[in-house]
Amino acid sequence: MECIMRADHLSFTYEDSKEGIRDIDFKIDEGEVVLLTGDSGCGKSTLLKCLNGLIPAVTEGEVRGSLYMEGSDYRDLKMFDLNREIGSVFQNPRTQFFTDQTTSELVFPMENYGFSKKEMDGRVEKLKKAFHLDHILNRRIYTLSSGERQMLALACARTLGQKVLLFDEPSANLDYGNAMGLGRLIAKMKKKGITVIVADHRFYYLDGIIDKALFMKDGKLEVFHSEEEFKNSGYNTRSFDIFSIEKEFRQKKNFGPCLAALEQVSYKDILRDVSLKLHKGEVTVLVGSNGAGKTTMAKLLCQSIKPDKGSVSMTDLPFFIMQDPDYQLFGTSVANELALVKNDKEAIRKCLEYLNLYEYRHAHPFALSGGQKQRLQIGMALLCDKDVMIFDEPTSGLDVSSMERISGEVCRLGEEAAILVISHDYEFIRNVADRIVYLKDGCIRENFLLNRDTVTKLNEIFRDMEEGGKNEEIEN
Amino acid sequence: MKVLKVNPVVLILINMLVPTMYIFRHGTYLQTFFMVFCSVLLLVTGNVKKLVAFLVLYGAIYGICFAGIYIGLLRFLVGFFVIVIQFVPCFMIASIIISQYSSTQLLSALEAIHLPRTLVIATTITLKFFPTFRREFSYIRESMRLRGIAFSLRRPVESFRYFIAPQLFRCAALAEEVTAAGLVKGIDVPVKRTSYFEEKFRFTDGLVLFVFAVGIAGGFVWNAS
Repeated sequence: MECIMRADHLSFTYEDSKEGIRDIDFKIDEGEVVLLTGDSGCGKSTLLKCLNGLIPAVTEGEVRGSLYMEGSDYRDLKMFDLNREIGSVFQNPRTQFFTDQTTSELVFPMENYGFSKKEMDGRVEKLKKAFHLDHILNRRIYTLSSGERQMLALACARTLGQKVLLFDEPSANLDYGNAMGLGRLIAKMKKKGITVIVADHRFYYLDGIIDKALFMKDGKLEVFHSEEEFKNSGYNTRSFDIFSIEKEFRQKKNFGPCLAALEQVSYKDILRDVSLKLHKGEVTVLVGSNGAGKTTMAKLLCQSIKPDKGSVSMTDLPFFIMQDPDYQLFGTSVANELALVKNDKEAIRKCLEYLNLYEYRHAHPFALSGGQKQRLQIGMALLCDKDVMIFDEPTSGLDVSSMERISGEVCRLGEEAAILVISHDYEFIRNVADRIVYLKDGCIRENFLLNRDTVTKLNEIFRDMEEGGKNEEIEN
Repeated sequence: MKVLKVNPVVLILINMLVPTMYIFRHGTYLQTFFMVFCSVLLLVTGNVKKLVAFLVLYGAIYGICFAGIYIGLLRFLVGFFVIVIQFVPCFMIASIIISQYSSTQLLSALEAIHLPRTLVIATTITLKFFPTFRREFSYIRESMRLRGIAFSLRRPVESFRYFIAPQLFRCAALAEEVTAAGLVKGIDVPVKRTSYFEEKFRFTDGLVLFVFAVGIAGGFVWNAS
């Protein structure tokens, strides 16, 4: 097999911080599936940006060492030479799409590279078949579900017939079914000889297809030459088979009074006759595929929308922790952010110390890293004195140890409050759930307490979601 | 009713000509003609709601200018509004362009009239920003409500502060994100861009341009007589 990418003592330091990557060496052969992993902030994204040329084109800093693409030095290649061969699938849809319409987006790279109309027609037809885009084309991008978005992003990354595909944390925005679907798709691309590089914390969907694992820690890289070698490495790789996880069950029995309830609620054609009770001291986890109506239920509880039928009863607005912290931060400093919740200096100091954010108390919330912002959100929840809290995908994009820490916080908050968690992170669910509610096609299909006897039910729900993903199976 | 689609190049051309014409000729005729022309254009392209909004805006500005003649306090504003009112037709056409065409179609149209690539990219990115901002605005308002710091007229300064600072950070991030999205898709390729959505020059486009030209010519005749 031919070597397609090679790094030789590659280092990068950001202009305005000490972080970066140091002394990276690796070799990737054509047609390999490569997993790039490591804890949050280890430098995965930095390395990925080096590979598609965004470093140094957009992000400023100092690059040392060399990168080669099919033998040519990156320094001699222009951005457009590189991206003719490399397709990038970003994590954030805002970064992913340049236009607002699906067909425009699909042909955008071809227009830029000056393809003729005839060539474009041919390729669009081919991509349409390969990625089942019939229902996706000619639509506004923001009306797509996350699974559809992923499919479009993938199709766009292949429009020029790129040989290498880069994925940045695909699992963060996909539910279990769609992630498993992506895994099958990657396996197919591997057969076609396409090189795939996936940077992600979670890799259950890549089980059995990884050729090489690049493990990063504090900006340094360790290379494992097979999946087996990586699994035996001692790093926490048990999430390869998520159902094999051994965890204690919370087994709580006495819950407090019901603090919030939905009774026989219907909303548009999204929810039908849904009932749910949230009890003090109980952590309820809402699972379901993307588009099943989970967020709509949360919005009903927040009174952002009114039900068409049925009733929503609760005493106060719940505290809502959004998936994207950027929408939720308004303070002028970290301490001020918490003061907006509860103006008690002593409590804020204790809270910041507890979350290891005390040294950042004067920093602007937007200057924090992603993980720190998330911790600040938790801090807000700790101080808010509300008795109902809703968490929307609190662990998406988190590494295993951060996920464990968030689990601890949620359990702690769950002692005093009624908590609803929306999640498709199996391991996290096993850590925190007292009760599982399964939402499918706008109806509640399952609602049970999680314990040793019912865990098989939870596993079945996940397999059911995977089957749902398979129905949208793609030929490539 | 079937709505008319006007070639974006025609719309852009008209929008460039409207302000230019004011240099040569000014006065009621040209202003009225542009207003009527653009209103009809909005109507046939199916933008009735927008038309109503623009007519209300036009009426309001006209009212201020008129009132300025009698109310001394408003007089200093009149100079400004007399200029603004002449640009209402331009905004009307711009609104048609934005609602009917995606950013790539505009990119192709702008290139067709041989504007420099850097200017074209800057324009497209700016145009992309508005709808994104509008969508995010609703998220942020909702989030402020849930945090108990909802936008309130009783505390305008505070509300504004909570709102504006995150916006500034978001703009900076968005600019970088959009640039990255463009770059990995070859926006910097130094070849002539092709267009998937070939906008043919149709009979109706010719008709629109013809009516426009006749109207302007009429203006010269009007002034001469």
